[in-house]
Order: sequence, then C-alpha cells, then structure tokens
Amino acid sequence: MKLSYVIKRVLYSLFVFAVVITLNFFIPRIGVEDPAERYYPPQGNMSEIEYEIVKQLTREQYGFHVSTWQQFLNYLKGLAQGDLGTSFRPGSPKVLDLIKERLPWTLVLSVSTMLIGLIVGVLFGVVAAVKRGRWQDTLLLNASTVMVALPSFFIALVLSFYLGFEWEIFPAYTDSTMVSEFAWTWEGISRVARNAALPVMSMMVGSIISYAQGTRNAVIAVTNEDFVLTARAKGLKRSTIRYKHILRNSLLPIVTSLGMSISGLIGGQVVIEQVFNWNGMGTLFLEANQTNDYPLMMGIMLLLSGFTILSILLTDLVYVLLDPRVTVGDKR
Amino acid sequence: MGEGRAVEQVLKLRNLKVVFPTDYGLIRAVEGVDLDIYHRECVALVGESGCGKSVTSQAVMRLLDSPPALIRMDVLEFDGRDLTQCTEAEMQEIRGKELAMIFQDAMTSLNPVMTVGNQIDEMYRRHYGDSKQAAREKTVHALELIGIPEPKERANSFPHQLSGGMRQRVLLAMAFACMPKLIIADEPTTALDVTIQAQVLKTLRGMQRGCGTSLLLVTHDLSVVAKMADRVYVMYAGKIVEKAPVKELFTNPHHPYTVGLMAAVPRLTDEKKKFTQIPGTVPSPVHKPSGCYFHPRCEYATERCRREMPRLEPMGRDRQVRCFHPLGVGGKSSD
Amino acid sequence: MKRLWMGVRKRLRGAGELLAKIWAHRQGKVGLIMVTLLVLVAIFAPYIAPYNPYDVSQRTTKGLPPSWQHPLGTTINTGQDIFSMLVYGTRVSLIVGVTSGVCIAIVGSILGVAAGYLGGAVDTLIMRIVDIMLVIPTLPLVIVLTNVLGRDFWIIILIFVALGWTGLARTIRSLVLVLKNTNYVKAAELAGASRWHIMIRHILPGTSHLVIMSTALSSAGIMVAEAGLSFLGLGDPTAISWGKMLAEAQSGGALLFGAWWWIFAPGLGIFLAVFGFMRVGLVLEEIANPRMKRTSSVYKLFRSLDSSYVEEVFRSMDDYQRIGVEGVSSGGGQSRGTGLEA
Repeated sequence: MKLSYVIKRVLYSLFVFAVVITLNFFIPRIGVEDPAERYYPPQGNMSEIEYEIVKQLTREQYGFHVSTWQQFLNYLKGLAQGDLGTSFRPGSPKVLDLIKERLPWTLVLSVSTMLIGLIVGVLFGVVAAVKRGRWQDTLLLNASTVMVALPSFFIALVLSFYLGFEWEIFPAYTDSTMVSEFAWTWEGISRVARNAALPVMSMMVGSIISYAQGTRNAVIAVTNEDFVLTARAKGLKRSTIRYKHILRNSLLPIVTSLGMSISGLIGGQVVIEQVFNWNGMGTLFLEANQTNDYPLMMGIMLLLSGFTILSILLTDLVYVLLDPRVTVGDKR
Repeated sequence: MGEGRAVEQVLKLRNLKVVFPTDYGLIRAVEGVDLDIYHRECVALVGESGCGKSVTSQAVMRLLDSPPALIRMDVLEFDGRDLTQCTEAEMQEIRGKELAMIFQDAMTSLNPVMTVGNQIDEMYRRHYGDSKQAAREKTVHALELIGIPEPKERANSFPHQLSGGMRQRVLLAMAFACMPKLIIADEPTTALDVTIQAQVLKTLRGMQRGCGTSLLLVTHDLSVVAKMADRVYVMYAGKIVEKAPVKELFTNPHHPYTVGLMAAVPRLTDEKKKFTQIPGTVPSPVHKPSGCYFHPRCEYATERCRREMPRLEPMGRDRQVRCFHPLGVGGKSSD
Repeated sequence: MKRLWMGVRKRLRGAGELLAKIWAHRQGKVGLIMVTLLVLVAIFAPYIAPYNPYDVSQRTTKGLPPSWQHPLGTTINTGQDIFSMLVYGTRVSLIVGVTSGVCIAIVGSILGVAAGYLGGAVDTLIMRIVDIMLVIPTLPLVIVLTNVLGRDFWIIILIFVALGWTGLARTIRSLVLVLKNTNYVKAAELAGASRWHIMIRHILPGTSHLVIMSTALSSAGIMVAEAGLSFLGLGDPTAISWGKMLAEAQSGGALLFGAWWWIFAPGLGIFLAVFGFMRVGLVLEEIANPRMKRTSSVYKLFRSLDSSYVEEVFRSMDDYQRIGVEGVSSGGGQSRGTGLEA
C-alpha cells in the first residue's frame, strides 16, 4: 500500500530532476551558439586568425567544439560520473572541487541559523500559542509583520555598523585568515565563531520568527480540534494534554517546514555572504556570475536544485511515516 | 421538583445562561435552562441544531472556556457537590471518572496519532493510577464488553483504521471506563448509518443499565429519544419549552413545537399524509423574535405570544410547558 | 456600447466599495495611506526632491551629515543628496514592484483558471511547470537570467513575473476547483455556454478577491527581491534604487565613517514600501476570508465589553417565576413581571 506511493513519488522526483538537468544545460545557451562566447579573452593585439585559433582551442578545451546535441550527451555522461563540469577559472579547476571547498563554510552559517531558529523559534511559538491573545502573542504578530518588510541585508548592515564598526564587538568583514589558517584548534574555531557571529545574527531573527509563527499557528489549530476537547472531557491533566495530544499533533507541520528549509542550507544566503564577504557558496556563485563562468554557475544551480528535489521527497516520505492517516494517495 | 422522589439526584442545574460575544452581536446560546437528572435514569435533551443543547452539555462539564463564552448559573450540583466552587484541578478529577462525555463525531474526537488502546488506557492510568499493563488489561476487557471483535489486536489500531461504528464504541468504552455516575452523550449516533445507529444505541442502553449510570442524551432525533429516554426536555432557541416523561410526550405533546417535531417525522404506517414541516427557520441566535421565540412559526400564535415570553408552567405530573396556549390540554385541542 | 459602459461602471463601483472596506479596517487605513503617499511621491518625485540626483552639476560636498539643506545628508563618494535619491528611488521600487505584481496577477490567474477549469492535459502541463519552477532556487536563477538576458529594467520585470506566477496559479487553481462545482457554473454549462464564456464571466470574477490580494502581496515581495538584486549590483545600472543605495553605502564607506543616515534612509524606504503594501494585502485577505482573522480579536472583544450591558442581557433571560421558588435569583437584581422580552 505505502510502497506504491513511495515509488510514485521517487519516479516523479526523477522526472523533475531530468527536466531540471535539461533546463540547466540550455539556459546558458540562450541566444548564443557557444556559451563561452562571453568568456573569451579580449582580442587585443591578436590578428583575426590568431584570435580564431585561441577561441577554437578554448572551445576544444571545454568541449564546446562538437554539436549541441553531442555536448548534451557528454554533459549527461559527466553527470552520471559525478562530474559537474570544469570551471572557466584560470587553472580550469573542477566545479565539484570548488564547491567542496566552499560548501562547509556556508553550512557553518546556515546550520547555526537553522538550529537557533528552530530551538528558540519553536519555544517562542509554543509560548505564544499558550498565551494566545496576551502580549507574547501580540509581540510575535507585530514582530513578524515588521520582519517581512525589513530585508535581512539591511539588518546585516545595521548590525555590522553598530556591533562591527562603532562598538567593535565582532568583525564586520570576514577575516581571511579564518579560512587560510583554519585548524581544528580552539584558536581556529573561535576565529570562525567570531566571524560568523554577525552573519548568523542577521539571519537568525528571520528564522526564529518564521519557526515561531509556524509553531504558534500549528499549536493553536490543533488546540481547537475535537480530540483535544475529548481529552479535556476525560479529565486528563493539562500537561498530559499538552504533550501527548497537542504537541504530538503539531509536530507534523513543523517537520514539514523543517524539511523544506533543509534545501536552503547549502545555498545559504547569497546576499548575507556578500555583505560580510564570507567565503561560501553564495560568494562563489556571485564570483562565477561576474566572470561569466557558466560551468560553475550552472553546476551550483544543478546542485541546489537537486538538493531541493531530494529534500522535498524526503519530507513527503517522512510525513507519510509520521502521520498514520496518510496511507495511499497523492495529496495533489 | 415536588414529586417526592426518594431516588438520589445525580445532577441539578438551575438557570444556566450562556452568551457568546462576537463581532456580529451577542449570541444568546442558552437562556435560563434547568435540568434534573436522577439515579439510573436516561434523560433526553431534544432540539434542532443551534438550539443550544450542545453548549448546555459542555457547560455542565464546565468545559466552556470563558473567552469566548460568558456563563452564569445559579446552581450546578453533581452528586451533591457544588461544581461551581470546584477548582480546575478538582474538575479534572471529576471529569472522566464520575462525569463523562461521548461526542458526536468519533473520527475527529479521537487523537489520530494515538492508538485507540492508548487512548482508553489513559483513562485508567489517569484516574486509577494503573500501570501500563494493568490499564491495557482493563482496556481489552472494556473493548470486549463494548462489542469489538479481537479486542487485543484492535487496541493497537489507529482511529482511522476502524469503521465508524467501532470508533463510536471506542468513545463509549472511554466514557464508561471508570463507571461514572453520569454520562452526557452529545448526538452519539448522528454521524452513523441507521443500522449501525441501532446497534450502538443498544450497546449504550445495555451499558447504561448494566453499570447503573445516568445518561443525558442530547439529540435532535426523536426516534432515538423514543428508544432510550425515560424523561425528555425539549429545547428551542436556548430555552426549555417542554418537559415530560417520554411516553406522555409522545402520546400527548403540549407545546406546538413538540407537536411540529413529531409531525415532521414520517412513519411507515402513515398513509397518504403529506410531509409536514414546521414552516420558517430556527431564529438566528443573535436576533431573536420578540415575545415567545416560537411565535413566528406557530399557527396558534396570538397577540400575547408576540409581546410576552411565556414562562415554564407545571402541567400535570412531572410536566412543564412554556406556552400561553398549550395543546392537548383539556378544552384547548389541536386539530 | 452602452453595455460596456454599464460593465465598467459596475467594476468601478465594486472597486470603490472595496476601498471603503479597506479604509474601514483599522490597519487598512494605515496601509492605504502609506501606499497612496508612496505613489504620490513616485509620481511627483521631481517636485518633491530638492535636488536632482541624476544631474551631476547638482552634486555638492561629500559626506555631509543631515542638515536643513540636506535632510538626510549627502553620499560620501559622489556628494549626492540622499533625500532626493530616496525620493527618486521610490519610482524604481514602485514601478518594478507594482508592474510585476499586476503582471503576476494576470498571468497567474489566467493559468490558474485554465488549469483548474479545463483540467486534463492543460492542468497537468501547467502544474508540472509549477513543480519544476519551485525546485530551482529563485535568487540564483534570477541572477543567471540577468546574466544571460541582460539587466535592463523591463527584462528584470519580465524575469520576476516569469518566476513569480507559480504561487498564485496554484492557489487560484484550488479555488477554481471548488467554484467549478457551484450551482451557477453548472447551470451555465447546462445552458450551453461556451467554456471561454464560463471562465471569463463566471469563474474569473469569483477569484477576484484573491487576485487583488495577491497583487498587493506580490508587489511587496518583488520590492524586497528587487532591493536584494540591486544590492548585489545586478539591477539596472542606470536607475537609482534603494538596494543600490545600500550597496553604495557599504562600498562608499558609510560604515567606516559612521554615516548612519546613508544606511538608514534606503532601509526606511524599503521598509515603508513593503510594509504598506503588505498591510493592504493582509487586510484584503481578512476581508475576503473573515475566518482567517487573527483570533486574538476575541480577547480584545472581551476586554472591551460593557459589563452592565452584559448583566442586563443575562437578567432579561430570567423567568420571573424563579423568585422565591428554589435557588437564588441570578446575581444582578430581580426581574419583575414587566422585565420581559421586548
């Protein structure tokens, strides 16, 4: 019974992934025959013929000299072997290697933000739900309406201004030694922590409020359900009702939103990384964009998309596991 | 009540009033309801949906929260105890153990992520302090009594895995678990098929007689009343309009509304009688009519009915009616 | 011709009623005022701004703090008046935000109605596209597309619309699935009306409240996105936008030299614009769907109750026969025979 659902979902995800791969391949080729068109070095003093030779050599180096269809097949073959392409950067590093270098740094920020948001947010959300109508709830409501209108990079600049420059508590620009001299020592780790403080603080508020809001709504919705009335009519103690009945049922929507946010972990917050000059995936992507490094850009995009597909699939499956009501059937 | 009953009184409710403030106005849900329930009897509270009967039953259990409801009552005595003076903790001791409730929709009234066994176990563990195993033994026994086949396996099912009738029986089992003095059943069979209804009612009556519990049956279905009740209260727009022992209510109803309710139920033996429906609709709980609430729909209404609200008058042994021109009372007859 | 005019009049009246409803709402007032002010500022920017930030000759001393001549000071790198930049920046935000919002509303509702009503292959196709677009991360995709297609103002709007219609389409489709089964639609089908006719005359109007609400909310969201994009330096290079101001503030050394005004000004602009539109959008949502109202209003209602009125209501429910029978009469006085229902 459940197995057919799982298989259906997996197949669908594979289909979506296939379409994404195709799109990923063709987007940089919009309007140009040759994606490296914008990358070639300027002609400068070279003659026409010399320039043509340089272009042709570059094409061959990156495999653009064959037909588009052949390129696509090569691309697919590469993907199957885990090769995301070769970057246009000097030295032609592999896209995957560049990503591997920068990904952990993004994870430092995003995982910290998520953990803080989850723990503090869920706690606050439960409080707001229990104290519905009182000041804790109103505070959450007002905070969330304000937060939506304040972009995180503005908060980042403000924090950077006061905590970074005026009062010099945390470094406002990431110290390059954080990466270059990193070691698993107290010194190394504390340097990371100090540099990460401001970025995490900028993102943390939004994360907390989002989890708090979701939890609050879920708890209130569950509290209004009939079975909670039954539990009260049974004379169960309030604590029993809260934990065994209300919270257990509220978990489902929280888990779903958690699952969805997992995909954001590896992409991180591009803008925040830019503000603090943090050496992660976000800045990698921006660098790629600035130098028209398509293989790198599209490699990152593919990774992010693939990850999102995976996290959606996993969330769906976990939901099926957790909620005994959902057996067969697509919720679409 | 003046009948000299020597039987002990389980519930005494006087002058219950419940009001809900909303943006659209004040909803007058219950307007001065009295109820008496004695040992081992089944009392029915009948009325159409929206007349305030569910609110009344929840108010008796003190399950109505003060926002959003405003509640007043003169007397609420349960088994001799004044419930209005009880703290919430004391109420939690009483609820489930001595005063229990069965809800209408078993699907939504059961926790979907807990097995039915666990939900019944809860009763024993909470009120008797039983261990998990002891409670489970009792639960299985209860499921067996209530007529669920393979009780041991069934206890580990989730609510959605059971049929409607079985789910309702689970609610029954939960209510009867601690042998309470009074069970309030709020439309216990409305959500079920007719055939299942009959079975569940039979079980309910059996359990009630067997355990010696009193039953307050809240319903809109007169056939249920006929099968189960000893005495009946008829409710309309928040007020009790008639009170009578069941047989007399059916053979000689006094209030025009009661008469209308009876006529609206088609009987298999009726020949060529048209479907009589009470004309008009139930008044909105925010804007109620002047005078007697029923007068806009009553064919016997007079000018007095439009101006004054009649009060509950005694009308024979253990009967009361709220009407200026009650029917079927010597001299004034309905046609 | 006359029928067309009647139709237009009806629409205008409907719009007027809606505006009145928004105005009646406490928070709606605030939102409407903010939005109107912003629109006015955007339209009359050259008259409101004391200096023209595009005019190089009007630049002056760099890095001035707020003063009477320069209410928000001047930039450190170019000596432009920040207040004027803020005013002109309103144009960019509003044009991009509102245009995108409106276009998203149009595209989203058309596709949503088509998917919901026509069903079958059309539905599957549209929903699959939605699924695929949901999976690709938006900001990177926007960046790639600006790279490939260009950073012109209108191209950016096009990109936002192309990525933004999916949410609305989904919501509208769900609504249409419900509307499809209403009696008047079924009656129209039986009467032989063409599918086009039904979709345009019956179904689309049923979604109007959702569409209007979405326009407000998407505009707000797009404004944030546009700010982010310009902040990264990837927006239209010729336009003055709040996001770009923030980027220039950072790179121009506002942080270093303590020029807080340069940072707070554009931030305030973004906040006011987004907040105003979101307010209107949320109020519209409440109007459309009263159940969604924040339930804390029940508590407010309770606190503002007139207790003497409440006691009077309770008193009026008494049967006066109770006096002297049993129990006590309800607190608050005894009702007499004349204390009857009005």
